[in-house]
This record gives sequence, structure tokens and C-alpha cells, in this order.
Amino acid sequence: MDDQKEILKPQMNKMKNLVIAFLSILTLASCNSNDKKTEKSAVDSTATVNTTYDHALGMWVGDFVAEEYREGSYSENKLSLVIKSIDKDKVIGRSVVVGNDRPLQGTLTDSGNKIIFVLDEPGDQKYDGRFEFELRNDTLVGTWKSYNQEINVTKRSFKLLKKVFAYNPNLMLDKNGDYTDRQSSKVKTVTDTIDGQAETFEDEYYRSASKAVFTINSSTQELKESDLKNLRKLDLQILRNTIFARHGYSFKKKTYRQFFDRADWYIPVSNDVNGTLTALEKKNIKLLERFEKYAEDNYDSFGR
Amino acid sequence: MLQITLRYLPIGSDVAFLQIKQTEVEGIKLYLPIFYIHVYSAIFVLLAGFTQFNKTLLNKHPKLHRKLGYLYVVVVLLFAAPSGLFIGFFANGGLIAKTAFSILAVLWFWFTLKAVLLAKKQQFKSHYNFMLRSFALTCSAITLRLWKVILVYLFHPAPMDVYQIIAWLGWIPNLLLVEWMIRKKYLNLK
Repeated sequence: MDDQKEILKPQMNKMKNLVIAFLSILTLASCNSNDKKTEKSAVDSTATVNTTYDHALGMWVGDFVAEEYREGSYSENKLSLVIKSIDKDKVIGRSVVVGNDRPLQGTLTDSGNKIIFVLDEPGDQKYDGRFEFELRNDTLVGTWKSYNQEINVTKRSFKLLKKVFAYNPNLMLDKNGDYTDRQSSKVKTVTDTIDGQAETFEDEYYRSASKAVFTINSSTQELKESDLKNLRKLDLQILRNTIFARHGYSFKKKTYRQFFDRADWYIPVSNDVNGTLTALEKKNIKLLERFEKYAEDNYDSFGR
Repeated sequence: MLQITLRYLPIGSDVAFLQIKQTEVEGIKLYLPIFYIHVYSAIFVLLAGFTQFNKTLLNKHPKLHRKLGYLYVVVVLLFAAPSGLFIGFFANGGLIAKTAFSILAVLWFWFTLKAVLLAKKQQFKSHYNFMLRSFALTCSAITLRLWKVILVYLFHPAPMDVYQIIAWLGWIPNLLLVEWMIRKKYLNLK
């Protein structure tokens, strides 16, 4: 009996996802009031040849990889590109990356065997630019070029897959992940005597998180002081921000991006998720913040 | 140390160390008042080291020595040690740390009591020795925090792992040091 349930579950989930995806396509499509054909073809999309672009609508997620950049400023961030509506050749969407949620507007060119999108960010912000990409099977492939040539990264490439964002409090960081903070290190100067000569070395130290970051669920369990007392600041920071990651918060800080960008369930959808937090999560965030502050003020200082 | 004490002024229920002791603060009514008794009383007894072991003050102003001595004894026996035992019972770091702090409080009380009783009996040599022991434990307030800084700098351990270590390391070496001082003095006298 139990086995059967186990097998059924993923299928049920898939079904659920399909239904959700389907419904969202329907609702998105119905926004275009003047395009009745869209709605119809969405219903029997498998039967007819696809002449609409419904399959391009939705959220596309993947790595946003620096291609042209100033020395030492290579970066790879998670990008969410949302295509909200396609009305003939007019496309509206938004891009969410590194805490930047920008509207997109542009055009679509269908040359028969290729569908090419050119979408522009408004251009009134420093990091705005132009997206150019094409739809290849199930992937959006393309590049982004900044309008501003004075910034560190002026060109990025991406390959995006379609994803559906859904808040799930049970999502956890992978227990096989590497939770070393490579974004901030402490340099200690060490003097060693080699063959009678004193030499100084600079050793870099990175802080790393404990098992707690993938064993404690800060969204589902009510955290107690005793759960947190033996944790370092990084553990506490990760536990608190896993809550935000589950809600699709797009992190501005590299410290957090390095951990969550790698989680395949993590989809940055918004730069403000405070309205979606549950009461339990809010309570846990308060407690975690209190412990973070204590850890920061007291961990390595004279006192307790 | 004064700076650390001043962090607890004005009295608050969630300042400094208390930030991670809200379970006790909220769950045990007596915790907060007793915690504050400990914080404010302990700072006074630390000053005794400058006055009570000072040879000139001892020989030239025995009356002052006696008065300050009573102050030390009263503060330790009535306030600092009993409150230490109480908060030690709820210490961070589990049973290992709790045991350490409880033993520390009991020994502190005992050495101080013994020392004052010996003074009453005019046995000043023994009085001196027991006061040395008592003050060695008083100084654990400083040494414990020093060890913490050293251990964290060297090994970056998890906070409560440090705590369990310093709970013992804060006072045992102090005590061993004065025992060695006392032993040495005896050998020299012979």
C-alpha cells in the first residue's frame, strides 16, 4: 500500500505541475483579450501545429554567465526571465537577477525555423541592457549586452529552461553541497623559518557552514534558542536566508548567491518577498537575527 | 571588565549576553534579577586584588584592609557566589559547562568562607592562602574571557564548544597557579 502511494506521489505532483502550468498559460493568454485564437490553440496544443508562441510564455531560469568583463570581475548569477505576453510581434516581460527586477519590452521575429527575441530593459538604470535570444526546442539561448560600457560586466550569455515557481517550505539545501564562504576571507600573516631564513606567508581563511544548514528547516520547525546556540554566524545567516530563497527572493549579496544559485530548486522571482512570509518564518527570522547580532558582536571578542 | 559590566546599564532584559538567554529570561522569573546581581556584584570583588594583597596597605592600614575585606566577603558570600551558582545551573554549553560553573561557585564560596573564619581565628597565614585561592577564582571572570579570545583566534570553534572548554579552563589553571605559589612559599620557609 505504502509503496503504491510512493509511486503515485511523484506522478500526482507532475500532474499537479502540469495543471498549474496549463492554467497559468491559460490565464496569461487570456490577458490578451484580442487574441482569442491563442486560447483555443492552448486547449488543443498537441493536436494542431503550433502557430502561437504560448510555449514561450512563462518563467525561464538559468545561469547568467559573464562573457565580456573587466579583469577579476567574472561572475555567474542566476537569471529569471519572464515572458509575460506576446501580442503579434510585441513582447512584454521582466528580468530578475541579483535583486534587480527590471521590466522588458521588445519584439519577436519568426523566420519560420527560428524565433528570435530582442527585449530591452528601460535604460534608466546603471545595469540595464538588451537581451537577444532565440527559442531552441526547450531552451532559451542568447546574450545580454549592457547599454553602459563603464560597468564591470558588459556582456553575458545564458541558456534558460522553463520553470514554474512554487513556494515549498520543505525545500532544503543539498547535503552534499559545499558551504564554504568563498566571497569573504580573512588573511593571516604567518611567519615561518625555512632553512634558517624567516619567510612570511599570507594564508587565506574561509569560513564554512556546519551541517545545520541542511538539517534545520527554518520554514517548518519553530526554532528554539537551544537549536541555535552552537551555530556560527554563517550558519545563522544561511538558515535565515534559506527562508527567503524558498520564497524566490533574488539576493543582492554574493555571500548568499553563492549558496542558493547552486540549488536547482532556487528560482529568483522577486526582490521583496516580505509579504509572503508565514508567521512561523517571521518568528524564526527574528530569533535568527538576534543570534546573528550576538555572534557578530561577541564571537571573537573579550566577553561572552 | 568595567566595559563589559557597563553594557548591562541600563538594566535590560535582552542586552548583550541576554540576547541568547531569552528562554531563561522568559521562562524563569528569578533568572533576570539574579543575573544582574551577579553582573553588578562581581565587578566590585575584582578590585580587591589591588587592595587586599598590597603589602603596604596590609601593614600600614590594617583597619582599611579589614573593612574592604568584609566588603569582599559579604559581596562574594551573599551575592556573587550564590547568584553564580544559580546562573551556572542554567549555563550555556550543556552539562559539561553547568558542572564547571557550579563547582566554581561552590569552591569560591567555600574558599572565601574558610578564609574569613581563619582570619577570625587569627590564623593569618592560612587566611592569606585561602584568600589567594578565593581571588584566583574571582579572576576567572577575566581569564575565562581571555581564553575565549585565544581559542577563537586559533581554532575558530563553534561557540558552545568554546564555552564548554573555557568553563573549565577559566578557573582550573588559576587555581593550580596559586596552589603552586603556596607550595613554593612553604618550601622556601623550610
